[in-house]
Amino acid sequence: MNLFSFDFIKTTFSNIKSNKQLFSLSVATNFIAFTVLGIFFLLFVNLDILFSSWDKHIQLIVYLDDKISNPNKKKIELLFNSNDKIDSIFFVSRDQAWESFRGKFSSKSNFVTSLNFNPLPDSYTLRFASGPDRLKNIRDFSEKIKNENGVESVEYGEKWISRFEQFMIFLRGFILVFGVVLFSGMILIISNTIKLSIYSRKDEIDLMTLLGATHQYIKVPLLLEGILQGVSGSLLALVSVKLIHLYIVFWFQGSLESVFRGLEFQYLTKPIIFSVISTGIIVGVLGSSISANQFLHRHNSE
Amino acid sequence: MIKVFNLYKSYGGIAPVLSDISFDIQDGEFVFLTGQSGAGKTTLFKVLFGWEKFDRGQILVGGINVGKLNEKNLYQLRRKVGFVFQDYKLLMKKTVFENVAFAQQIVGANMKTVRAKTWNALKNVGLVKKKDSYPSQLSGGEQQRVSIARAIVNDPELILADEPTGNLDSEISKEIFALFEKINQQGKTIIIATHSAEILRKKERRHLLLKRGKLLQS
Repeated sequence: MNLFSFDFIKTTFSNIKSNKQLFSLSVATNFIAFTVLGIFFLLFVNLDILFSSWDKHIQLIVYLDDKISNPNKKKIELLFNSNDKIDSIFFVSRDQAWESFRGKFSSKSNFVTSLNFNPLPDSYTLRFASGPDRLKNIRDFSEKIKNENGVESVEYGEKWISRFEQFMIFLRGFILVFGVVLFSGMILIISNTIKLSIYSRKDEIDLMTLLGATHQYIKVPLLLEGILQGVSGSLLALVSVKLIHLYIVFWFQGSLESVFRGLEFQYLTKPIIFSVISTGIIVGVLGSSISANQFLHRHNSE
Repeated sequence: MIKVFNLYKSYGGIAPVLSDISFDIQDGEFVFLTGQSGAGKTTLFKVLFGWEKFDRGQILVGGINVGKLNEKNLYQLRRKVGFVFQDYKLLMKKTVFENVAFAQQIVGANMKTVRAKTWNALKNVGLVKKKDSYPSQLSGGEQQRVSIARAIVNDPELILADEPTGNLDSEISKEIFALFEKINQQGKTIIIATHSAEILRKKERRHLLLKRGKLLQS
């Protein structure tokens, strides 16, 4: 680090020292905005994990008609085998299904033991290869197979999957819109703080330009001040979101495990943490650049 | 050092503030810019310093075409010119030493050079003993000497002094003019704007006389 850079850092900290209250206020406002955003991210991350875990368990069950002919059954099996997206095919006969059903529910209901016929059909359980298009593949294949002769019905919990998918799309969109609003707000806050900081040192900055300081020399400490405001706000927010995460894990992990089927309540992922910090830097650079450029442009066109 | 040709400048009123101004100033000259209040002395200085834009004409200062400068390279001109302000423009929270060193720091000089040059400049204006004082602890004359030290510390080729003795009594004014003469003897070109008739009578120097924005004598 050369002396010139050291001078920038020294000037930045001396600016912050002389405008402590203003700096703290800006950091606090950014901290609140980033915390709100962080909480939404926390919610999103955990719902996404939950959704992914459900996604892994999604399987397509094809129920066959009791009166299905052998050629139709063969045709259906051929369709299964010709689809390279299908990982595995299990045939469950109606007797196996009934045995399994009775095993699970006979102790819980007299109705099951009192029933003296098998109401269940033969079925195939299909597992699809994992990947981002897994759900789409299941959906497409189920549309294709459900109208085949000998197929009574297909099932993969489409309604609730669609609803959850729509909710996740909504949440993603909401976070995006909300993030953009908060982002703009934070830029405005930092820009105004830097503006106030510039005006509190107007005489000094005016003199700098008159004595031959370059724009870079005037702008760099202001940019550093803005970046420090953004980064401090984002780091404090990450700490507060971590505390919220720990609180939830400490008090509600038991209930969450039962709801989330053994999944742990997660903190923000690394890419999200880096995005939050990067956003802090971007917000700081943009906010301070706007004010510094406005001031220098106005000053030179006076 | 300075070439001005057909310079016009107006603030939008009927009469221009500067009208058809042309003159040359050679390296190492000592020139007084005179005229009554409102004649356009300060405006001419501001235009020469790139502090204000002008409407027409050509200005060359130390080989720099002032009209071609934009806000990003204006510093090139400012580093060639030391400006002494009538109101001193000192930073009240900085000491005398820091005020002078400030001009060195902003051009990116290293700490050793800053110390040596600031010390020399203060020695030149006779303020070494007051280096740790704050501007509020100094007299008007001393404050102006700090302003002069700050103007010369970067070793500019040209010094523009706008009414440097406007707020000072005649004894102190003499000291300040003596200081400018000393700096001129060191090879610097100096232009002083003043309307002090007494100073002009005593000093046999070249005069540029402005009247209502026009140059009557060059």
